[in-house]
Amino acid sequence: MSASDELATTYLEGERVPHFRSLSGIEYKPIYTKADWPDELSDAAQYPFTRGIHSDMYRKRLWTRRQQSGYGTPEESNERIKYLLRVGQTGINMDCDTGTKLGLDPDYPLAQGDVGLQGTSLCTYEDMRTLYKDIALDKVSSTLIIQPPFSALIMAWYLLLAKERGIPWENLIGTIMNCAITQLVGPTYQSNMAFFPFNLTLKIGFDVMEYMISRVPRWNIVNINAYNIRETGVNAIQEAAFAITLAADYMKALIQRGHDVDSFARRMAFFCAAHIDLFEEVAKLRAMRRIWARMLKERFKAKNEESMWFRAAIQTSALPLTAQEPLNNIVRATIQTLAAVLAGTQSIHTTGYDEAHSLPTEESQRLSIRTQQIIAYETKVVNSVDPLGGSYLIESLTDRIEEQIWELMKLIEEKGGFIQCYEDGWIEEQVDEARYMMADDIESGERPVIGFNMFRDEDEKTDIEIFRYAQGMQARRIRYARDYKKNRNQEPVKRALDKLCELTKKKPEVNFVEPIMQAAASKATLQEIFDAMRRGADFTIPS
Amino acid sequence: MEFKGKRIVIGKLGLDGHDTGMKIVSKWLLDAGYEVLYAGLYNSPQRIVQMAIEEAADAIGISSLEFEHLYYANKLLEELHAKSLGDRIKVIFGGVIPKDDVQKLKQLGVDAVFTPGTRKDTLIQTINDLFAST
Repeated sequence: MSASDELATTYLEGERVPHFRSLSGIEYKPIYTKADWPDELSDAAQYPFTRGIHSDMYRKRLWTRRQQSGYGTPEESNERIKYLLRVGQTGINMDCDTGTKLGLDPDYPLAQGDVGLQGTSLCTYEDMRTLYKDIALDKVSSTLIIQPPFSALIMAWYLLLAKERGIPWENLIGTIMNCAITQLVGPTYQSNMAFFPFNLTLKIGFDVMEYMISRVPRWNIVNINAYNIRETGVNAIQEAAFAITLAADYMKALIQRGHDVDSFARRMAFFCAAHIDLFEEVAKLRAMRRIWARMLKERFKAKNEESMWFRAAIQTSALPLTAQEPLNNIVRATIQTLAAVLAGTQSIHTTGYDEAHSLPTEESQRLSIRTQQIIAYETKVVNSVDPLGGSYLIESLTDRIEEQIWELMKLIEEKGGFIQCYEDGWIEEQVDEARYMMADDIESGERPVIGFNMFRDEDEKTDIEIFRYAQGMQARRIRYARDYKKNRNQEPVKRALDKLCELTKKKPEVNFVEPIMQAAASKATLQEIFDAMRRGADFTIPS
Repeated sequence: MEFKGKRIVIGKLGLDGHDTGMKIVSKWLLDAGYEVLYAGLYNSPQRIVQMAIEEAADAIGISSLEFEHLYYANKLLEELHAKSLGDRIKVIFGGVIPKDDVQKLKQLGVDAVFTPGTRKDTLIQTINDLFAST
C-alpha cells in the first residue's frame, strides 16, 4: 500500500486493521462475556498456578533484570557485566561466542572469523576467572548460556572458580542452560549434529544435571530455550508444546537414571519469548503454568508442590523488530516487556532497539534496563498479582491456548516424544513450514509491521550508533589460545586428555563431569578436551 | 527471461548458525525460477567455491548474521580470484550488515548486498538485474 493509498483508507473509509486473528491464528471475538468463561479461578500460589506460583509475586520481589551480555575477550565482557550491574541489572546472563558453544578454540581455522562476535570468547579456566573478576559468585545469580556437551566444561570452570575463592558450592545461585536441542539457534537439525555425536551430547547433558542435583542444591540444572524455538518463526502454541514435551523427555530420562521427580523438577526452568500479541502471550504463559502443574502432578506423580511450579525467564522477541525506523522498536519492546510482566515471569531481558543492526550498544542496554525499571516503579502494574486474571478474554484465551498446546503435545508424544520427533526431522519440517509462512504473512501484509510493510518511508535514513568490536580482538584471542597451549606443563594435560579419550571409547556410561573438570584443572583447553572425546567416539567435525 | 535456470549456491561461512533468512531467501529464489544449491551451515570459503565449481554455479549467496561478513567476504573473494572465477561467479551477501559495511563489501567486489527488511520483490529484481547486465 502506498502512503497516499493509506491516507485514503484512513481518512475516507475509516481506519481498521486487516483482520482480528491472533499471531497463532486464533480468532479474537468482538467481545468476551460470562458465556465465554463461566468458571472460577483458584488463587495465585494454588494448584494449578494459573495466576502464578507466588501469592504476593512482584510485591515481595520484582522480576530479575537479566540482560544477556558477552562479546569480545573475557576482559571486555567483565567490564560490560560490571557496567550492567552498576546501572541496575540484578542478574548475570553470560553468553559465550559461537566457537565456545561448538567446542572450538579461537585458533581453529573455521572458528577464527567468529571469535568474540556473538558472545565472549572462552577457552581456558583462566578465561572464566577473568570474566568473573570482582563479581561475587555467591551474591549475584548467573545464567550460563551454553548447551551440552560443552555445558559440562563451563559448569566445571565455574565450580572450580568457586572452589578457588573458597565459596561453598551450596551457596551458588544460578542456571546452566544445558539444553541439548534448543540452545544454538532453536531446534534446527544441522547445528546440533555437526560438532559432537548427538547421543553423547544428550547423555552429557544428563551427566551435568545429575552432578548438580546432588552437589549444588540451589542451581537450576536445565533451562529449556523456548525463546530460540519461537524465534525460528513458530507460533505460541508450538513454542509451548515443543518446550514442554522436551522437558518431559528430560524428566523421563532422569527418572530412568533413578532420580525421584521431586529431587529435580523444581530445578528445571524455561526461557520463553514475549512476542507482540499482548493478550496471547499472557495467556500462553498462564496456560504453560497450568499444563506444567498438571503434567507434574498427574503424569509424573510429583508430591512436592514446588515441583509443579512452572518458572520462566522471558526475553522480548526480536521477530517483530525492524531495521527500518529502529526507534519504533523501543515502543514494541516496551509493550512486549509489559506482556512479560502481566504474564508473571521470573526474569526479563528486553531486546535492544538496535537488534537488527548489531549487538546492543551500552546505551541500548541501559535503555532496556530503564524500560523495565519504568514499568516496575512508575506504572503500578506490579501492585497486584495476575492483574489480567478473571478477564473473560484472558481466561477464555488461556483455556483455548491450553487446549491447543495439549493437543500438539499429544501428537508429539504419539510420535515418540520431542527428541524422537527432532531426530526424525519432523520438528525441522514444522519449523521450516512456519518460517515460510511467517515470511509470506509479512510479504502479503497479513502480519502488519509498521514502517516495514505498512507506512514505510522509502527515504528513511537510519542513523543510530551501532556497536563495533575492538580492533584486533580476534587476533588477540587467537594468539592467546596458541600461547596458552605452548606455555604450560604438557604432561598432565596429555594424561587427562588420554583418559577422556579412553573413557569415551571404552566407558561412555561414566559421568563425564569429573573427568572433564580434571582435564580443565590440568590446563587443557576447551577444544582439546572435546577433541579428545571426539577422537574417542571417532567423530570428525567440519573444517 | 535470461536469468531463468541460473544456479546459485546458498550457504553460510564459519560458525554462524542462524539459518532462517537463508532458507526463506532460498525459497524465494526457487519460486522465481532460479536453481538453488543449498550448502547449509559451517562452510569454509574453499568448500563453497569448490561446490560452486562442481555445480557450475553462476552465483554464490552468503548469509551472515554474526558480523563476520567482512572477514569472510575477503576470504571468499580471494579464493574466487585464486581460481580465476572472480568475473564469472557473482557474489551476493545478505544479513545483519551495517550501512557503512555495505560500501566496504562492494569495494571488495561483492555484487549485491541485502540488509534486514529487504522485500521479496526488491531482492528478486536486484538479482535478476545482476544477471541481465552480464
